[in-house]
Amino acid sequence: MQLHVSPATGIPLYLQIESQLKHAIAAGALKQGDTLLSVRKLAADLRINPNTVARAYQNLERDGVIRTVPGGGTYVADNVPGLLKSEKLKQLKPFALQVAVEGTHLRLTRDEIVKQVQAALDELGGRS
Amino acid sequence: MSEFAILTDGLMKHYSETRAVDGLDLRVPRGSVYGFLGRNGAGKTTTIRTLMGLVRPTGGSACVLDMRVPDEQIAILYRTAYASEKKNLFPSMTGEHLVRFNRPFYRTWSDALAAKCVRRLEIPMDQQFKKLSLGNRTKLCLLMALAQGAELLILDEPTSGLDPVIMDELLKLLIEDYAGDGRTVFLSSHSLGEVERVADWVGIIDHGKLLLESRLDDIRTEYRRINASGNALPVNVNPQILSAVRSGSFCEYVVKNGADHFVVELRSQGATILNVSPLNLGEVFLQLVRKEEPCTSGNAGATPVALSPST
Repeated sequence: MQLHVSPATGIPLYLQIESQLKHAIAAGALKQGDTLLSVRKLAADLRINPNTVARAYQNLERDGVIRTVPGGGTYVADNVPGLLKSEKLKQLKPFALQVAVEGTHLRLTRDEIVKQVQAALDELGGRS
Repeated sequence: MSEFAILTDGLMKHYSETRAVDGLDLRVPRGSVYGFLGRNGAGKTTTIRTLMGLVRPTGGSACVLDMRVPDEQIAILYRTAYASEKKNLFPSMTGEHLVRFNRPFYRTWSDALAAKCVRRLEIPMDQQFKKLSLGNRTKLCLLMALAQGAELLILDEPTSGLDPVIMDELLKLLIEDYAGDGRTVFLSSHSLGEVERVADWVGIIDHGKLLLESRLDDIRTEYRRINASGNALPVNVNPQILSAVRSGSFCEYVVKNGADHFVVELRSQGATILNVSPLNLGEVFLQLVRKEEPCTSGNAGATPVALSPST
């Protein structure tokens, strides 16, 4: 499981790590109980500040995506994130907005945009 | 113990007419990797030399690790490692000699770290300093600072003359052995790419004044570029709208804080929002230090429109 972050995009690095790990879990590349790299190891691999990795891990742990055993490493959590549905939808909203804006800007129809999202879901393996 | 490794209040260094450092208020959090950024001649090196007691401030005050500059300078130097931008060591000594000479001065010197630097940075240790290339001199100076094992590491333009592979190894060394370890790294640079990865705090200095000091991820969250199209789009700037460049019916804004609110406002004036995107550090840097008129109309070469007074 190889992560890549790019400072040049202007997106906070901790968010890039969070979304890539969430993506890997959603796509099944990372499974429940899999071990994640330690903060320092991942930071050294990515050449980024350990505090930034620690922040990403803290947020993921708060969201129930991963769990840290004190002195025993970091794992993908056993249960699918136990967030309230409303909270999950709230997290998704900005991304939906971005798809809508980009799609409209490209002068695609409503139908074409929705189809594109469905195709992306199919690509992930149709877990929904 | 204060939460800041370096703290200055209104620090000033004036050379007759030149105001090299002009009322600088630095707050460098302990445990951070702090990128001190600025153009050539912005006052970076003078600030660092003042902190190291090599230059007497003309005004203001500075504390390093809670000790006052310059009254407690010797104690500061014991606990601070410093690699200057000059890259000068005794010319006739080899790397091995220099290590043997420097080592006894520092209680926290780490032979393991010195050996790691030699290996990772590929430093030839058996040649006289004066016979080394600029890159190898830089590496040797970095070794002397890193191996000191100090709780504060100050590096002035550490990457000048290094090739990309060695630069990468240096970043890795800093991450493995300094960052996130409670130790503080303060590095000055005008090349933003490397800083953007490894730093978690940045300060931008220009004409001896601090223009911005922030957590790097907060900068990435705060600044937005907004592209809009429409008739009679506003082009006035204020503390929130940093720039507005109009060309035809399109306008590009750079906004600090409250981009969402501004987008709503533009829409209510009939504008179409084409794109909202974050800025990277390089773009924020240019935005803050560039000298051009921040608010123009037309493409390059066109004359600026009369500005409506910003309120």
